[in-house]
Amino acid sequence: MSISPSDSFPQVSAAYFDGQTAASKAVRLSIDGSDLLLRTDSAEWRWPLGEVHISERLGSTPRLLTFAGGGHCEVNDHAGLDEMLAQTGVRRGWLDRMQHSLPWALAALVLLVVTLAAAYRYLLPWGAEALAMRMPDAVMQKMGSSTLEAMDRFALKPSKLDTARQQELTDEFAHLQPLPGAKFNYHIVFRSSPRMGPNAFALPDGSIVLLDELVDLTKDDNEIIAVLEHERGHVERRHAMRMVLQSSAVGLVMAWYLGDVSSLLATAPAVIMQAKYSRDMEREADEYAEKTLQLNELSPCLLAGILDKLEAAHLATLKKKEQQPEAEEKNSHAVMDYLSSHPATQERIGLLCPAK
Amino acid sequence: MPVRHQYSQGITMQDQLGRQEQRFEFTGSGWEYFKIWIVNVMLSIVTLGIYSAWAKVRRLQYFYRNTRLADASFDYHGQPKAILKGRIIAIVLLVAYNASFKINPILGMVVALVLGLAMPWLLMRSLRFKLYNSSYRGLRFGFSGERRDAYNAFLGYPALAGFTAYLAAPLAHQRIKQYQFDNSRFGNTAFKLNATVKGFYLLYLSALAVILGTLLLLPVLAMLSGTGAGLQSLITGLKSAGPFIVLIMVASFLIVGSLFSAYMQNLVWGNTELGAHRFFSRVSARRLLWIRITNFLGVALTLGLYMPFAAIRMLRFKLESMGVAASGDLSEFVSGQQQQASATGEETAEMFDVDISF
Repeated sequence: MSISPSDSFPQVSAAYFDGQTAASKAVRLSIDGSDLLLRTDSAEWRWPLGEVHISERLGSTPRLLTFAGGGHCEVNDHAGLDEMLAQTGVRRGWLDRMQHSLPWALAALVLLVVTLAAAYRYLLPWGAEALAMRMPDAVMQKMGSSTLEAMDRFALKPSKLDTARQQELTDEFAHLQPLPGAKFNYHIVFRSSPRMGPNAFALPDGSIVLLDELVDLTKDDNEIIAVLEHERGHVERRHAMRMVLQSSAVGLVMAWYLGDVSSLLATAPAVIMQAKYSRDMEREADEYAEKTLQLNELSPCLLAGILDKLEAAHLATLKKKEQQPEAEEKNSHAVMDYLSSHPATQERIGLLCPAK
Repeated sequence: MPVRHQYSQGITMQDQLGRQEQRFEFTGSGWEYFKIWIVNVMLSIVTLGIYSAWAKVRRLQYFYRNTRLADASFDYHGQPKAILKGRIIAIVLLVAYNASFKINPILGMVVALVLGLAMPWLLMRSLRFKLYNSSYRGLRFGFSGERRDAYNAFLGYPALAGFTAYLAAPLAHQRIKQYQFDNSRFGNTAFKLNATVKGFYLLYLSALAVILGTLLLLPVLAMLSGTGAGLQSLITGLKSAGPFIVLIMVASFLIVGSLFSAYMQNLVWGNTELGAHRFFSRVSARRLLWIRITNFLGVALTLGLYMPFAAIRMLRFKLESMGVAASGDLSEFVSGQQQQASATGEETAEMFDVDISF
């Protein structure tokens, strides 16, 4: 349909629109020197090629030759147009080539996967850490107090420990020499929660919630101190804030990417991925506790010991639940089980206390 | 459905006036778009999102230029730099919105209020940008909506809907569509929306009836599958059939959602005029549901790689269900006045997920 055999110059048929009306006119395009020639059966126009904007190829969509005055030509004959433009030295751009080649598409896919994986593995934690470390104290305070408020409302009960015992543990913890560079003012918040079982968690503002169930788990106060040091590690490394930042960044990207498909799909990965983050952070907190314990001439095996007890308690609860699946249905989804977010406990014990 | 009735009236009228039907045609292909898409996504990520404005222009150009009506295609003219500028402003607004809530709830409320007040204006600007940058046969579309009407449509009526426990929601929806369509033009010929408030109410009520019907049916189903008598059977039934009931709920919402969007497109486009020409829209809810489910599965199973194919499929289906019942020659339009519009509105609206596109 494009090149008329009688003519030695390549000709391309096109539809011309003047930009003033919607009427189309069938024209033939050809190149004459540095001009573009438009011909109908009765008339001929001439445009310097420099005043014609030629749209890039985009799949097999029509290409548009737009003229400085406002009119344009729609060309569907891609091979013909390419051949005609080849005479003028107009080459296809690199982007044009990339967008239409399967090898480039595959290369882009591989590069994309690698970039995403690297960004997720390195850039995201690094960015979250950098941002978390610069977070103003007011934000950390606010996040800590509002988290405690929410937990008090939904999951925690007042502690049954007497004040003397609470003071004793507080003193023992305060007595400990912290690692140089520790920033936060720590205080222990005593609570209990039969639903959560033995547990302790660090809030971003330096409060450490210690549950009675954990205190009851061991007779050695130094083991409790070891857990508190582990939690201090979480606070100092701002793990809670980093988790919040990371998961909201992942959530934001997913929501943007999957936006119109499903919000369900968008939230799932963020939740799944969190487990992996926690593992790295646990290791970091373990190391922090290990160093503090060593600084105070205490053995890191203390932390290993309490971890061992926690796992035993956890397995026991699991077993109990298996035996009575009907009862306490709701409680089996405890808000934050100490061990479910602390995987590979034996591995951690091995790292802390190789002798064990 | 009552809407279908309204729609079939449209057909007879067209026949009586001897209009000629021209369907939209969509020539995009999944593989072709996949190649363009993946290269653009990769470049967007490598350039930390800066390239995404150029990618957006390419995407829209691919879609527009593959959309054909009466042997001519549409085109998109948005400038990547304008879109990039809009995106930067949108991100700043988004961060300000989120950060202010974290710092202080009162400050957050103030920022939310300011954004809420600015939203109608942004939506108006985004419509203007989108239409001004769209063309067909070398003629630009245009949008001449007034600011006051934008505030009525995007803030006033939705607020009314909120105050009346959503009783006025269909009215608000109709007013928004009316604002969009009645202020749009192609060249210098105006669009006109004839879909009535009554039509919107009938559609909303039908959807509500289906949802309520399902909700009422569920306890009955549960009772039948449960053991014991009365309330006891309901409780045991709900417990044993728990996941099954969730499945029914999800399925029914999917079905109602597809019915609703199919009939909504038919209602709106089936009652739109452009000068002497009428549009028609015959989206089949069953096909729409099928495409949605298979697209969802495709995207989920390929970790998102099916996305470009899904987009092409959906677009082809929606566009090819529509067309123009042309009275006389489509070429008779003459160009109207052109206007400048900035891209900020459009990008902000997109970031905040207030998608009010046609």
